[in-house]
Amino acid sequence: MGSSGASGDLSGEMEVDAFRRLFPLRFYERHLLESVRPDARPLGRARDTTVALGAVATADGSAMAKIGCTTMLAAIKLEVMTPPLDSSDEGSVAIDFHMPPICSPIVRPGRPAEVAPVVSKQLSDAIISSGMINLKELSLVSGKAAWMAYLDIYCLDADGALFDAALLAAVAAFSHLQIPAVTVNDDGRVVIMSGENEEGKLLKDPVNKEKRKLTLTCIPFSLTCILHKNYILADPTAEEESVMETPVTVVLDSSSRLVSLYKPGGPVLAYMSAVQDCVALTRQRVKELQKILSDAISDMEVD
Amino acid sequence: MVGLSIGEKHFIQGGIAQDIRTDGRKRLTYRPISVETGVIPQANGSARVRMGATDVIASVKAELGKPTPLQPDKGKVAIYVDCSPVAAPMFERRGGEELATELSVALQKCLLGGKSGAGAGIDLSSLMVIEGKICWDLYIDCLVISSDGNLLDTLGAAIKAALSNTGVPKVHVAMGPSGDEQPEVDISDEEFLQFDTTGVPVIVTLTKIGRHYIVDATSEEESQMSSAVSISVNRHGHICGLTKRGGSGLDPSVILDMVSVAKHVSEQLINKLDSEIAAAEAYEVES
Amino acid sequence: MSGKTATAPTTYSPSPTQKKRQPIFKDVDWIRPDGRGFHQCRPAFLRTGAVNAAAGSAYAEFGNTKVIVSVFGPRESKKAMMYSDIGRLNCNVSYTTFATPVRGQGSDHKEFSSMLHKALEGAIILESFPKTTVDVFALVLESGGSDLPVVISCASLALADAGIMMYDLVTSVSVSCLGANLVIDPISEEESYQDGSLLITCMPSRNEVTQLTLTGEWSTPKIHEAVELCLDACSKLGDVMRSCLKEAASASQE
Repeated sequence: MGSSGASGDLSGEMEVDAFRRLFPLRFYERHLLESVRPDARPLGRARDTTVALGAVATADGSAMAKIGCTTMLAAIKLEVMTPPLDSSDEGSVAIDFHMPPICSPIVRPGRPAEVAPVVSKQLSDAIISSGMINLKELSLVSGKAAWMAYLDIYCLDADGALFDAALLAAVAAFSHLQIPAVTVNDDGRVVIMSGENEEGKLLKDPVNKEKRKLTLTCIPFSLTCILHKNYILADPTAEEESVMETPVTVVLDSSSRLVSLYKPGGPVLAYMSAVQDCVALTRQRVKELQKILSDAISDMEVD
Repeated sequence: MVGLSIGEKHFIQGGIAQDIRTDGRKRLTYRPISVETGVIPQANGSARVRMGATDVIASVKAELGKPTPLQPDKGKVAIYVDCSPVAAPMFERRGGEELATELSVALQKCLLGGKSGAGAGIDLSSLMVIEGKICWDLYIDCLVISSDGNLLDTLGAAIKAALSNTGVPKVHVAMGPSGDEQPEVDISDEEFLQFDTTGVPVIVTLTKIGRHYIVDATSEEESQMSSAVSISVNRHGHICGLTKRGGSGLDPSVILDMVSVAKHVSEQLINKLDSEIAAAEAYEVES
Repeated sequence: MSGKTATAPTTYSPSPTQKKRQPIFKDVDWIRPDGRGFHQCRPAFLRTGAVNAAAGSAYAEFGNTKVIVSVFGPRESKKAMMYSDIGRLNCNVSYTTFATPVRGQGSDHKEFSSMLHKALEGAIILESFPKTTVDVFALVLESGGSDLPVVISCASLALADAGIMMYDLVTSVSVSCLGANLVIDPISEEESYQDGSLLITCMPSRNEVTQLTLTGEWSTPKIHEAVELCLDACSKLGDVMRSCLKEAASASQE
């Protein structure tokens, strides 16, 4: 069969796996004609999604989110800082997205993935601008001490739609976050109150009397779609992302307001109708994700 | 890598099997050791040790620093090894770096003991000046000038010699009015405290070639090794550290046997080193 | 340092500073913080196939110590590498920022990568993949003590999952010497007070030690006791790992 160069002639004779590797685009286009994807999903359906809260014992708040094979582990550690003068009664949030070498064959030690800082920036933009967190709730002593929430998200397995999974893990970690009860000791440092503290040490009133959770309003959720010709594929896998290169990410908050929209280039120039379709898909997806997250929270409370 | 012909390899292996090595030594005999102390005048202590063609310099510098909050009653010691590109062609460019880190980590493991400080050859609490405020930081820098095998043992010996050559200046403390501020200190130029090195262990590396193991291997012999175990032993015959190099596995009973051989060899090595160090010190005072 | 002098961007953890050494460890009879016997290992949870993107992977959870290891390859060596008729092994161990109680302390373990390499190289049949490299990457999600032994055991499981040829599985166990007692598989708290430690990496079916390190001051009988303890635990861990691999294989056949 060496003489024929056109893949169409070969496709009948070749094994499916070989065809998939040699002509990935044709492989996908054949599926798209039938409105189905290689993993048997319809075009607009996202992969199975799970959220587990409290995955990391050493953190103040943590969550593991899985969308298909893409796995994200997010953990928040609270530290104390002196707030800057211009926002003396507010805490702060520092968000970092990591892609360690374990997550994908393209990442190697010392040579970090190019997408990691991009996702990191998108995440902090989406979380800060959505107004999900009231930074005043992170204040301890106005002008003296406030919480700095370090949110680190690790990608454990990269299989497409990294931003969606990372955002889901991040908001889940915030909803699991428990602010510990603290007090100010004699040196002016904030320390955690523990039952073992000697009586003498509790001269000053506790700053934060008991453990509490943040009140989260307008939680942002996102959906990434791939545009290819006239098709819109929701929640792409890594393979789909590498074959078809026009992603659109829509971030909506829980009351369906648009938080952000990214379309970083790509060969397909999208009509407004396509973008609207993406938004409509995201709106459905937000409802699913809200349910998944609230189920995870109620599961946690039952335990 | 030392390029050896098959004939040479057989000669080395056969010699070791018959307990007579290419340079006429027995399996557990060291090459002649020579020690010179005070080779670097700027340092608080220094020594140059040669074992055969292997030649290293160790220098000790003491600086005042702040103890870590976790161990407020202890000073700090840092050991760095530098493999000069002069020493061997394989140290050129980045080749020496990997070996240098490996040697530094191995020396730290052997000399600084466990986390709680037990078994440390260098008594960290003797470096204390004021608890929680000031301590001595010792910087031990080693330079490999010429490499012909058995680097770890030679470096260990050089550090031992350099430490016994080290005088830490006496510090007079003028207590400040409040306990919070850094107290003022006066470093004496004349009075020095001799560093106590009785607890510093020696390192014995046993290189396994064929079914036997040898001490003080040359680089030709090292190229034939299947694995090597470095054991640091102090004067009381206690093991203070142990690391293994080389890929192939060892039977646990062989390792335990090596430990007892190393203990036996270390006694001779400690005595030999002590007399060499004493002779070198005496020579330095004379000249 | 008082909090007032700290400048704006510096932060600190509010958890209480390290308590003084608990004298309890000095006694002959004490109870380990997690209630185990001195010679009892933590329950081990092992799973292969944790990371889909990798050729082979494994997840290990020993008490609070949680690690993931991914294996990639055999794949093309970096361009700068010269021809080699045996394969290369490349290892890396990293920590998450939240692995330790105080944020970002995990980077103190630079030597772990080379120690993982030394522990594994003797067990892998490098001749079976000439000219190529196998990458073994480990991420410590949570550090709960005995991190390196867990990483090593988990890595050999991941290598087996990736189908890399090995002479035998590599298992690793450490013991800590606390006062007069030897405790196996120490947790972080015990490790921070230990007088000495011994780590053994071995191939249990071949009864060969591929790596061992020892710190602190030990007498010979104590070394004998510790080595015996470790080897016994290593062979038990080997059985657990083997049954984990068998389970995974029979599950994939169905």
